[in-house]
Amino acid sequence: MSTRPTLARRLNEWGLLLGVIGAVIGFIIGFAIGTIAIGNSFNTDHSLGSDPGILLGYALSALGFLAGLGFLNYPIGRLLGAKRPSEEDNAYMHGEAGGLRRYFRMTTDHKVIGLQYLVMILAFLFIGGLGAMFIRTELLTPSPTIANAQSYLTLVGLHSTLMIFMASAAIIGPFGNYFVPIMIGTRNMAFPRLEALTFWLLPPAGLILLSTVFLGGFTTGWTGYAPLADQNVLGMDAYLMGFALIGLSIGLSGLNMIATILTKRAPGMPLSRMPIFVWSVLVTSFLGALASPALIAAVLMEMFSRTYQTTFFVPAGGGSPYLWENLFWFFGHPEVYIFVIPAFGLIMEMLPVFTRKPLWGYRVGVGGMVGVGVLSFVVWQHHLFVSGLAPSLRPFYMFSTEMISVPTGIIYLVSLGTLWRARTRFSTPMLFIFAFFFNFLIGGFTGVFLSDVPSDFSLHASYFVQAHFHYTIMGAEVFALMGAIVYYLPKMTGRTMDIKLLRYQFWAVFLTFNGTFLSLIAVGILGMPRRVISYAAYLQPLNDSASIFALALGLSMALFLGILIWEVVIKQRVAAANPWESLGVEWQVPTPVPTFNFDRVPVSWSLPYDYDTGKPAADFGPVAPALTGA
Amino acid sequence: MRNRATAIRIVLIVWIVASIAGDVALAFGPIPPGQASDLASSESLTILLLAEIAWPVFAGVLAALFFTLVVNRLAPPTAVVSPEALRGNTRVQTAWIAATLVIVLSLAVYGTVALAIDQPGAGISTVSAALPMPTSTDQPLEVQVIAQQWWFTYRYPTYGGIETSQLVLPVNQKIQFHITSLDVTHSFWFYALGVKGDAVPLNDNVVTATPTQTGTYRVQCSELCGLWHGNMSDNTAMVVSPSDFATWIQQQTTLDAPIMKFLVPYSHTYEPSPTIYGT
Ligand code: HEM
Ligand SMILES: [Cu+2]
Ligand SMILES: [Cu+2]
Repeated sequence: MSTRPTLARRLNEWGLLLGVIGAVIGFIIGFAIGTIAIGNSFNTDHSLGSDPGILLGYALSALGFLAGLGFLNYPIGRLLGAKRPSEEDNAYMHGEAGGLRRYFRMTTDHKVIGLQYLVMILAFLFIGGLGAMFIRTELLTPSPTIANAQSYLTLVGLHSTLMIFMASAAIIGPFGNYFVPIMIGTRNMAFPRLEALTFWLLPPAGLILLSTVFLGGFTTGWTGYAPLADQNVLGMDAYLMGFALIGLSIGLSGLNMIATILTKRAPGMPLSRMPIFVWSVLVTSFLGALASPALIAAVLMEMFSRTYQTTFFVPAGGGSPYLWENLFWFFGHPEVYIFVIPAFGLIMEMLPVFTRKPLWGYRVGVGGMVGVGVLSFVVWQHHLFVSGLAPSLRPFYMFSTEMISVPTGIIYLVSLGTLWRARTRFSTPMLFIFAFFFNFLIGGFTGVFLSDVPSDFSLHASYFVQAHFHYTIMGAEVFALMGAIVYYLPKMTGRTMDIKLLRYQFWAVFLTFNGTFLSLIAVGILGMPRRVISYAAYLQPLNDSASIFALALGLSMALFLGILIWEVVIKQRVAAANPWESLGVEWQVPTPVPTFNFDRVPVSWSLPYDYDTGKPAADFGPVAPALTGA
Repeated sequence: MRNRATAIRIVLIVWIVASIAGDVALAFGPIPPGQASDLASSESLTILLLAEIAWPVFAGVLAALFFTLVVNRLAPPTAVVSPEALRGNTRVQTAWIAATLVIVLSLAVYGTVALAIDQPGAGISTVSAALPMPTSTDQPLEVQVIAQQWWFTYRYPTYGGIETSQLVLPVNQKIQFHITSLDVTHSFWFYALGVKGDAVPLNDNVVTATPTQTGTYRVQCSELCGLWHGNMSDNTAMVVSPSDFATWIQQQTTLDAPIMKFLVPYSHTYEPSPTIYGT
């Protein structure tokens, strides 16, 4: 009993290295089997390998990576009859006393995983942002300058797929994993190993996606429309495998969150008394768990088409491009709400803290998010209004899409109600909250123009759509993300950023963001299609305006990252225990949060928004940390 | 307290003035995609209408945000509010939801009616044979758009199925575009006419519009179709008078005569290029 755990632990300590070795070995085996045994690529580009070789190589390398990290130890050990891990083992796996090193291995501590997510999200936000800078530099002139047609489309595809990837985990990943268990008063996720898996699937996904540049790139953008995808060189396989792993992570994370939230709430916390952020995570998790299978199925079918010539989406082979379009958008539309619902939750969670008022209309707020979630499954054909599907389908999708404005509007109702008669504190996170409202308002109103079929005829596939979803994703989700980083870092790291300096940074991103995308709204209205390297000369002034603002926006985003790294990692500015004077349970536990969160599971009393009475939300037992001034 | 009342009044007045000014400006501004066809006019009317409704609502939400954020700090509210009122108000909530529902439902009804009247198409066609030669301007003239990597060609079935690389249309004649593709998915976008329809292999996508202004226009591909998608555009599409059209089509027929026997017979869809993996 005493030798086995030490071996397992020692292996786990070296997990990352073993993982990399496993990935290399996996790739070699997969590539060899794929190339030799299956061989015969249908693709034109044989110089770098074959589709079966690349796809199998990537699949086995992801598996090898996870095995090296130690994901197979537990299931295989149990299959071979090993005993359940001891308390001690569990505490070790949870990262107890692991110091900094636990951030570089597989652990089952949701707080470690939350921070791992945060770092990864920021890394991909940065890489994806660099891509955008290249794109906007290219578009300074109406004809190709720094890129050629192939590299430009690869840039567009990489930027968008990386950002979609980043955005689908940007809030749930760091803040959902870190705070949901604390907010609902539990020590652990329902499936801690699964939770670790959802994180560790993503670095391989990101690297596989990026590897497309060595394989000739891909020309389909993030939507991967077939049969164009069938025509593409090996770089397409990187997109497919990367997206499959992302889909897997979204789905598994959803299942884990649903199980956790439904079964592990503290005593005294019915669903009707859950912090609203937890509600947003619950709704989002249902979307992820139900939508991602469609994506995974679609990319698997496309992988088969590229290796076994199944021609699911190729008309000449009896397939249909519409099959891909429908599967993709059946995932794709709920996906956009996977981005934004957690942002709704965060905003409504933070507002009472800065208004010093209870959340106004908690129940309708929850209803609004549930309504958005349910409706988001029946609107996907608004992406296909001009695709040539039967016109009789369109009124329904127009109706359902426009209906989404109603539950979405409720978020504004709740927020305005909370702000009403409040003396709002304009701390830096509040500025980002304000920007969220402003940007999402434009995002939502541009959406209305797109959901109406006659106006969508003109606007579909133009820069107007591009501006629409940048307003909703970057303007709403990423601004909420930045606000939440400022707000929650003191809790997550015990350190803080210079919130005065950040106010300048805030105005810089806010103004340059709007400058960029207002220009692009105009560009779209004037008739510029998306994803083109060449455009009509009359569109140059507006494009230049967008590009110049975009480059400044890139600098402002880099400034945020710079301040973050400088203050939190290098200067290590110490934060107050509860700088915003929040009543939330997450702010009442000590910083750093103990490995198992609570000595005694708290008993929930009320929603954590009683700023009028100042009543604490939960009873922490004999020694309430809030009362001892920890 | 007086300050507050004044502030409320000022914000309200600013909102009303801004709403009216914005709506009036919209009504006089040029609204895309313009008036070069009946379809374009109806699209720009829809866009105008949506904008007219959206602007005051947009400005209203901004005004409310401004009010709660700024005025409350300058002139803090003094009235004591009951704990219940701090946590919600069923009447206000019901009213808000009802109001948004009404707006949204009327938009949906309007959009559906507009669709029913215009019959703009962009939907799969059910007919297989080409239309006969129109005998009047409201009987549609069939024009086929064939997309392939990376250009468009056009066929005129009522003129012997001749094939051209330039799109020329007679003004004030109803046109029925039949859009298809020979390889991957493209999209045919004639911005000025408000015409957009995906070109999908083995699919016949129909869009109807009547050009009402002569001129030279730009057509372009609006669905990512691979390497040279960005260059799949053409600035030479023309809407001309019926007599100019007759002259042009006559010239094209003569030009095409030698190659007519090599052309595949006119059809609403064509077998896609057999090689699905490039070459
Ligand atoms: C809530 C956050 C939202 C996000 C994150 C979002 C995101 C997106 C994205 C990514 C696309 C473009 C897909 C593509 O062509 O590649 C899109 C298109 C669209 N969005 Fe949104 N959207 C949001 C809200 C809305 C709202 C509130 C509406 C309607 C009221 C709406 C209506 C549409 C429509 C109709 C399209 C299709 C436009 C077209 O392709 O012609 N969206 N949205
Ligand atoms: Cu959508
Ligand atoms: Cu194209």
